[in-house]
Amino acid sequence: MPDMRFAPPNPLRIADRASGLNAVSVRSYNERLVLSLLLQSKDITRLEIGERTGLSAQTVSVIVRSLEQEGLIAKGEAQRGRVGPPTVPLSLNPEGAYSVGISVGHRQVEVVLVDFVGSIRSHAVLPFSAAAQDTNHPQFMSAIAKAIADLPQHLHSRIAGIGLALPGDEVELELTPKAARERFDALQEEVEREIGYPVYVQNDITAAAGGESMFGVAKHLSDYLFFYLGARLHSRLVLNHQIYNTTGAVSFDVGILRLEQEITRQGRQTSELWERGADWPSFGEAEIAWQRELVGQMKSSIAALKQFVPITSVVLSSYAPQAVCKAICRELEQAMPGIAAIAGNIERSPKAVGAAGLPFSSRFMVE
Amino acid sequence: MRSVLCYGDSNTHGQVPGGTPLDRYGPAERWPGVMARELGVGWHVIEEGLSGRTTVRDDPIEGAHKNGRTYLRPCLQSHAVLDLVIIMLGTNDLKARFNQPASEVAMAMGCLVYDIKELKPGPGGSVPEIMIVSPPPMLDDIKEWRSIFAGAPEKSRQLALEFEIIADSLEVHFFDAGSVVTCDPLDGFHINGQAHALLGRALAREVEAIGWPDER
Repeated sequence: MPDMRFAPPNPLRIADRASGLNAVSVRSYNERLVLSLLLQSKDITRLEIGERTGLSAQTVSVIVRSLEQEGLIAKGEAQRGRVGPPTVPLSLNPEGAYSVGISVGHRQVEVVLVDFVGSIRSHAVLPFSAAAQDTNHPQFMSAIAKAIADLPQHLHSRIAGIGLALPGDEVELELTPKAARERFDALQEEVEREIGYPVYVQNDITAAAGGESMFGVAKHLSDYLFFYLGARLHSRLVLNHQIYNTTGAVSFDVGILRLEQEITRQGRQTSELWERGADWPSFGEAEIAWQRELVGQMKSSIAALKQFVPITSVVLSSYAPQAVCKAICRELEQAMPGIAAIAGNIERSPKAVGAAGLPFSSRFMVE
Repeated sequence: MRSVLCYGDSNTHGQVPGGTPLDRYGPAERWPGVMARELGVGWHVIEEGLSGRTTVRDDPIEGAHKNGRTYLRPCLQSHAVLDLVIIMLGTNDLKARFNQPASEVAMAMGCLVYDIKELKPGPGGSVPEIMIVSPPPMLDDIKEWRSIFAGAPEKSRQLALEFEIIADSLEVHFFDAGSVVTCDPLDGFHINGQAHALLGRALAREVEAIGWPDER
C-alpha cells in the first residue's frame, strides 16, 4: 500500500490554463460559494471571504488564485486604513463571463447580453406578431446570433450559456399567437442546436425574481414577496433566498393589460405602454383608478401570505418605467404600515436579464 | 505579535551574486529584512536561509546538513509558535548530482508541507499558514556553475507551475517569485539587492493578503 500522501498531486483546478472558462465539472462547491458571495458583495477581502464562508485562509487563497487566473474575479486597489495592514478588495470581474437572456412574452421577444455582474451589454426587442406563425425562425435565431456577435470574437469563449424565460401563466399563454406554445417547447433544443451554447430554461416570473435577487435590489434580501407587473400581476414567494416556483401559480388581471383597457375606454392611444425603456405619459384618471385596483390586489396578497409568513419586504419588478413602480410602492407602503416596498432596478427587460442569470447560477453559484 | 519563518536557501541567506556564502547582503537588505520592515511591528520575522539547502535530499558532496527536510523539524520546534511558514527552495535540487525533474522537486516540497502539518507548530498546536514560494528561474548563462547545474535552467522554468500544482492540491498559499524578480547575470541564479527589496515587498503584500483576524 503506497503512502497516498505522495500519490501524484491533483492539479484539477489549474489543469486548464487556456483562456476561457473551465469545464462545469471542475467547479467545486467551495469555488461556487466564493463566487456567490462575490456576486452579493463586491470589494471584500480574503479575510472576509474566509469569515463569511467558513473556509480556511489557505483554501480561500487557492480558490481566489485560480478564479483570478481564470479571469472571473479581479483585485481592486489596495486600501490603506488608519490601522492595520492595507487590504486588497476582491470583486467579480464584469468581463469574466457573459450570458444571453431571452424572454418570450405574448407580444414580443426580448434578447439581452449581460456581463458577469448583470449589466446589459446589448438589448433587442422583436415584435412577436411579426414572427412567422409556425416557426421560431429566422428572426429569433438571428437576434440571438446578433447579441453574441455584439461581443468581440475573443470573448465568445467567455459566454456561459443562454437562458430562456418561458411564460407559464395559462391566461397569458392564451394571448400568444397561434401554436406558439408548441413552438416554445421546441425552443431549447433549437437554440442549442443552431447557436451552439448550452440553454437553460425557467419560468419567466421565477427568472425575473432570480434576476432581482442576483443583480438587482433583492441582492441582500433573504425573505420577501416578489411581484412582477406584466400584462397581469404575478407573484413569487422568496424565503431564505429560495424562490418558490409553483406550476399553476395564480395571476391577477390588474396588470398592464387592465390599464390598457381603461385607457382604451377613454379613447386614447396605448402604444407607449408596451415600449421598453420609455417613460409613460400621464394617463390621468384611468391610471389612478388602475393603480388603486393594483395596490388593492397586492395588499390582499400580502395580507393572505402574512397569515403564514411574517413577511416585511416586497419587491416590485416590471419593464414599466421605474417612476411608475416607485409610485405604486409608495402607495402600497402607505396602505400597509410595516411593509417595505422596493421597486426593482432592472428596468429594461427584467425577465430577459433574469434569464441571463440562469447560466451563471447553474455554472458558477451555489443553489 | 505574529511570527513568520522564512525557510530557504542562499537566496534567503542573502548571498551576493557571484560571491560566496560569506558575501552576504545586510540584514535589512535581505528579503526577510525588507519584509519585516514592510509588515511593521506586529510581526516577528525569522530568517532561516542556508546556502546549498535542498528540499529533502542529503547532498553527497556538500553534506547531509543541506537536507531541508531533516533540519525543518528542529527548526520549527526552535521557533514555535509560528503563525506562518514561508518556504522558498528548489534550485539546489536541480543540481546534476540529484538528477531530478521539476515535478519531483515539487513532490519534495509537498513532503515539507506534510511535515509542517504533522508537527503543528502553530498557535495552540494548530497547523500554521504555509506559503510555498517558487524561486525565480535561473538564467541560461550560469557561468562556471554550468556543469554542476547541467540541465537545471530549463527545469527551473518549470518549477513555478509544478509548485503551484502541489500548493493547490495541498491547499496552501503559493507565490511565484519569478513574477516579481529575475536572477542576477553575475552568476545567473542568485538575486541581487534590488531583487531582495522587490521580493520582500511583494511577499509582505502576500502575507497581508492572507488576512489575519485581530489578535485577542
